[in-house]
Amino acid sequence: MTLMRADAPIFSFNQQRSALIARAVERVMATTDDVLHILNDAAYHETRRLDGTRRPKDVDRLDTWRRLARRVGRMGRAERQSELRALTAHYVEDIAGHFDPRVYRFSTHLLPTLVTSLLSPRSLPRLIRHPQRLFSLDAVANKVVVGGDTERLRKLSKSGTLVYVPTHSSNLDSIVFGFALERSNLPPATYGAGKNLFTNPLLSFFMENLGAYRVDRRLRHQLYKDCLKAYSTVLLESGYHSLFFPGGTRSRSGCVEKKLKLGLMGTGVEAYGHTLLAARERKVFFVPSTINYLLTLEAETLIADFLAAKGKARYIIEDDESTRAGRIATFTRKLLGMSGSVVIRFGDPLDPFGHRVDEDGESIDARGRRVDTSSYVRNLDGEVCIDRERDAQYTRELASAIADGFNRHTVLFSTNLVASVCFEWLHAEADTDDLFNILRQRDCMIDRLELARRTQALRDTMRERERAGEVFLSDRIRDVDGEEIVALAMRAFGGYHTHPVLEQRGKKIALRDSKLLFYYQNRVIGHGSGFVTGAPR
Amino acid sequence: MTMFGVLGGGTWGLSLAKAARRAGTTPILCTRRHESGSHAGLTVTSDLAELAKAKIIIMAVPSHQAESAARQLGEHLNGNHFLIHGIRGLSGEGLATVSQILRQETPVRRIGALGGPVQPDELSEGRPSAMVVASAFSDVRSAMAELLSGPSLHIRTTDDLVGLEWASALVGAVSIGVGFAQARPDISPGLLAALISSAVDESATIAVAAGAKRETFYGLGGYGDLLASIGMPNRPEVVLGRALAEGDNLEQAQQRATLRVEAIELIPRVVAFAKRRKVPHKVFGVLADVLERKIDGERVLASFF
Repeated sequence: MTLMRADAPIFSFNQQRSALIARAVERVMATTDDVLHILNDAAYHETRRLDGTRRPKDVDRLDTWRRLARRVGRMGRAERQSELRALTAHYVEDIAGHFDPRVYRFSTHLLPTLVTSLLSPRSLPRLIRHPQRLFSLDAVANKVVVGGDTERLRKLSKSGTLVYVPTHSSNLDSIVFGFALERSNLPPATYGAGKNLFTNPLLSFFMENLGAYRVDRRLRHQLYKDCLKAYSTVLLESGYHSLFFPGGTRSRSGCVEKKLKLGLMGTGVEAYGHTLLAARERKVFFVPSTINYLLTLEAETLIADFLAAKGKARYIIEDDESTRAGRIATFTRKLLGMSGSVVIRFGDPLDPFGHRVDEDGESIDARGRRVDTSSYVRNLDGEVCIDRERDAQYTRELASAIADGFNRHTVLFSTNLVASVCFEWLHAEADTDDLFNILRQRDCMIDRLELARRTQALRDTMRERERAGEVFLSDRIRDVDGEEIVALAMRAFGGYHTHPVLEQRGKKIALRDSKLLFYYQNRVIGHGSGFVTGAPR
Repeated sequence: MTMFGVLGGGTWGLSLAKAARRAGTTPILCTRRHESGSHAGLTVTSDLAELAKAKIIIMAVPSHQAESAARQLGEHLNGNHFLIHGIRGLSGEGLATVSQILRQETPVRRIGALGGPVQPDELSEGRPSAMVVASAFSDVRSAMAELLSGPSLHIRTTDDLVGLEWASALVGAVSIGVGFAQARPDISPGLLAALISSAVDESATIAVAAGAKRETFYGLGGYGDLLASIGMPNRPEVVLGRALAEGDNLEQAQQRATLRVEAIELIPRVVAFAKRRKVPHKVFGVLADVLERKIDGERVLASFF
């Protein structure tokens, strides 16, 4: 076990860092055809972004970009190349992260146990009696459940590069996913995290030292995107297992992501092509995964942002619940107090073209035939070539397969089913298909027995879907009656969110927070139930 | 090595092979209709493995044979092949496009479709015409344009594969309606134009629900194809529509059309699809009623609007 993990390329990242950066820079230089355009584009976007800034550092940057914008047209070819190289080196250096094995060990072994013991004081005496447990994940074993064919993934991680592509609903995702990898004895992965997270004092220490690379979402120009993709490509072809959140940002609505960002995902096929060109084929395996929470840390902020007027939703949120230590502590206490409240599922691995992959790393087509993956990146003359337009289409098809995997590996909790039934009740009471009118419903009540009956019916429907391989149910709700599911949801909802979501009033349940009910029900809508925004009844 | 092959030795397959030969390639034709060896100056084989030596293959088989032909051909192909079809039709209740079938039955991913107003005899005789090539893959589009373009054949390309396949299939259905309207004594040129516009617009709306781009229907693959279709008095769909307007029942109308009209089975499935997707389907609903003789000729034209 330990040997395999120590073999993971990430453990030698710091020694390789300079070489990786140099390769990424050379890649950008070699693939930038129109240097004048790319420099102009960068100067234009950066000038616009920084215009009006008062921060001294940004004022200097603005000045530099303005000077470049004025000069670039008059520059000779060599000077433009030199400017491009300097900027590329600066960006790639900024993107590349670090990996500290000590922080890795602390974060994956000790931290969860300590957090658990602090939040669950009853476990403390046991840990004192058995201090070796401080260095195991046993203490959180029944809190975080991991599912999927991890044996196959372990095997594939030896012959190729794994790219984990999970759903994204919380800033805790990368840490929780890291636990899941550790628990499954899968190699750790490097990942791109929003640069804003590096300013979060609670997360930055771990982000900085766990192999995360910085993605500055404020930079919209092509050169930065090229640097990011080149760095990711070089990491993949060098065998660094990676983690992308293909949704790009946390799901605001609570829905499982359908539309995925193609940029970083597209580096998979390009990296594979480069290994073929270098005559050292190394396959890339995408692993669609779902991170499922009974409750979401930032649910209130996310759904409020989703419901903000169209076009005004924020791409980067810097002031949500994940920046507040108190909220994180309350949330963690709540979540870890309920077993099976976080479930991570690894889906079936896919090649960069969207084919299923067997345990030998061979790609399988829709008719079950093994296919030669290299044939997909060959031109009509049979030569391997990097063709970004072609590869973009492969990546679109891969994205569709990943979204399908997300749907099939979604795990539904009591909170999702109860919210779905409650929101349908609100919908009927409002007698309109207009979302905002439904959300404005006040003082709606549902008889608890009726809620339990409907919830059980919905669970039964979902259980059929689970048997058909279309979704998963949390173990806690699979075989209990509707009343038990309602009780579990009431217990989960109580005590964490700012306002009560549901409230018992005699024999009835008051539906108190329609926005959060909408948020939690959205997890169900990919499975034929729940209210779909914009769809008629 | 032969770079280009055609599967299907019918009129359409032969015409495509001849057009490619005229454009300067040496196509191989895979068919059981003709003896292996040589036919009309083309290399002919019945061996799919031989055909698979070509890297660009056009499938030109009847739509009801597409699935089984693709399954057999798929055994000989890999990701390096470009597979393009010239088959009109949408399959099953889910209205699967032929490209979806090819994707399911073969390992090929670089898939495309042919469409537009070009007719087999124009291709065969080298008379000027225009064709649309659709593929989400740019290398397929450019290879096909290079392969077929010539002084007499103009190729337009689009990345809207789904749109072209839906347009090609729905043009047949709309042609029945146009044939019907043309045969009515109370139709005026203005009313006919309004009917055609409504039908194309509705076709686009339904196809958009299946992932097509609306604009494809207003281009060569939609309007262009329809104008060519209704400009041919002997086009089976037009003949069938005309016969229905003249009081024939469906069986009699089919006999007059002489060839199989696949749109007869397609129309009710399109209506069912539109209902499921909750998109407008008035024109197609009326067409379905016409086929089932649920509506008399007097009321048909008024019902379209």
